[in-house]
Amino acid sequence: MSAQDDVVRIDFAFKRELARKIEGNLANYCYQCGACVGDCPAARYSDVFNPREIMLKVLYGLEEELLGEDSVLWECTNCYSCHERCPQQVKPVEVIISLKNMLADRGGEPGVASKIIRTFQTTGRTVPPSPAIDRQRERFGLAPLKPVPMDEIRAILGLEAEADAREERQP
Amino acid sequence: MKRVAFFPGCLIPARHPAMEFAIRATLPRLGVELVDLDGASCCPDPIYFKSRDKLDWLTVAARNLTLAEDLGLDVVTNCSGCTATLSEAVHLLGDGELRERVNSRLARIGREYRGTSRVRHIATVVRDDVGADAVRESVVRPLQGLKIAVHYGCHLLKPSRVMQVDDPDDPHLMESLVAALGAEPVRHRNWFLCCGKACQGEDIPAAMMRDLLSTVHDEHADILGMICPTCFGQFDHGQKRVGEMFGEDFHTPPVYYFQLLAFAQGAAYDELGFERQRFKPECLRAYQEA
Repeated sequence: MSAQDDVVRIDFAFKRELARKIEGNLANYCYQCGACVGDCPAARYSDVFNPREIMLKVLYGLEEELLGEDSVLWECTNCYSCHERCPQQVKPVEVIISLKNMLADRGGEPGVASKIIRTFQTTGRTVPPSPAIDRQRERFGLAPLKPVPMDEIRAILGLEAEADAREERQP
Repeated sequence: MKRVAFFPGCLIPARHPAMEFAIRATLPRLGVELVDLDGASCCPDPIYFKSRDKLDWLTVAARNLTLAEDLGLDVVTNCSGCTATLSEAVHLLGDGELRERVNSRLARIGREYRGTSRVRHIATVVRDDVGADAVRESVVRPLQGLKIAVHYGCHLLKPSRVMQVDDPDDPHLMESLVAALGAEPVRHRNWFLCCGKACQGEDIPAAMMRDLLSTVHDEHADILGMICPTCFGQFDHGQKRVGEMFGEDFHTPPVYYFQLLAFAQGAAYDELGFERQRFKPECLRAYQEA
């Protein structure tokens, strides 16, 4: 909020969108006690990452600060200490992951994440199988990696429907 | 023999097969039969995949859980990431509405999540179903005098309401498993810190790993023992980078617990794949020669 603002304007559209994500609505229980900060390793090692501030911005619905260019969300260590400490069961880490879902919906996901997800969508694994790894496994007397039934994965993720829709859109 | 559905995940079978070898070599000797889960996919990973779409993440996890339900067995994981995803999925799917949403997707492939299998990390299985005494009895090469700093990582313990493994502020699981090898478990001052793998920037994980490694070093630990392949990657590959960044050489070899167990049960040092590590636990060789 800028200094000129006398009134806090809450962006309810943002908050409703966040609430549709699994456990995205939990920030509403946050009373800003800061218990999450004391145990947060990212807060200990960074001047910009602070889970209490992130929850405050969620309460106001400050989309630009949360999902904008300099978003700090991806500095979260995902250690779950805030989840452990929160007396209100806000699960700040889960709210942060829900915010990352919104970031992904807006195309703001980091490249490393897109790459790993593409690997999963083609192989069903996040580390792809290869002849080299199977040779290494053989050295330890381990069977080659089994293929993942990708038809099942694509069906439950709705990837087939997406591909069909793309085809229909083709002239 | 206790039968469990073995969920190896991605990192261990596809990047660290030595760890899988060690698990398959040690668990049957402790009375645990590992039944392979045909058709399992990535758990999926709790950092990147979950950050794209939580409902997709939960659906893929639920599918994996149904594979174990078909066998009527509990799921046993060997990676803290898989443990986190699958345990969290069981917890979330306790909610009727969410379970219905997920099951409507699973119905497309004729599957249904029922919630009949528990999820447990192998370290927990060894503590609860095997017991430290049986581990100690299986050891033919006690690691007397070896100081093993304990690294729990995050997702074995937290969130404790979901994981229900140990007290996250004062855990004893790994200390008891390390002591069962005849080694001396060392809890260093920064034992509770995270490996930082999930952070996109380099600064936070580097500073955190430096602090962690320096307190391990202060305790004169020979090895950093752990139960998660992601933490392992950070402390092996990452330790080299941290050393370069800060101009310090902590030289603390990280070792996955079940490789230590395999070694203590008599596997040869050269069988265990340590040559692929950047920081090799050469200190173990003395026990082989003894």
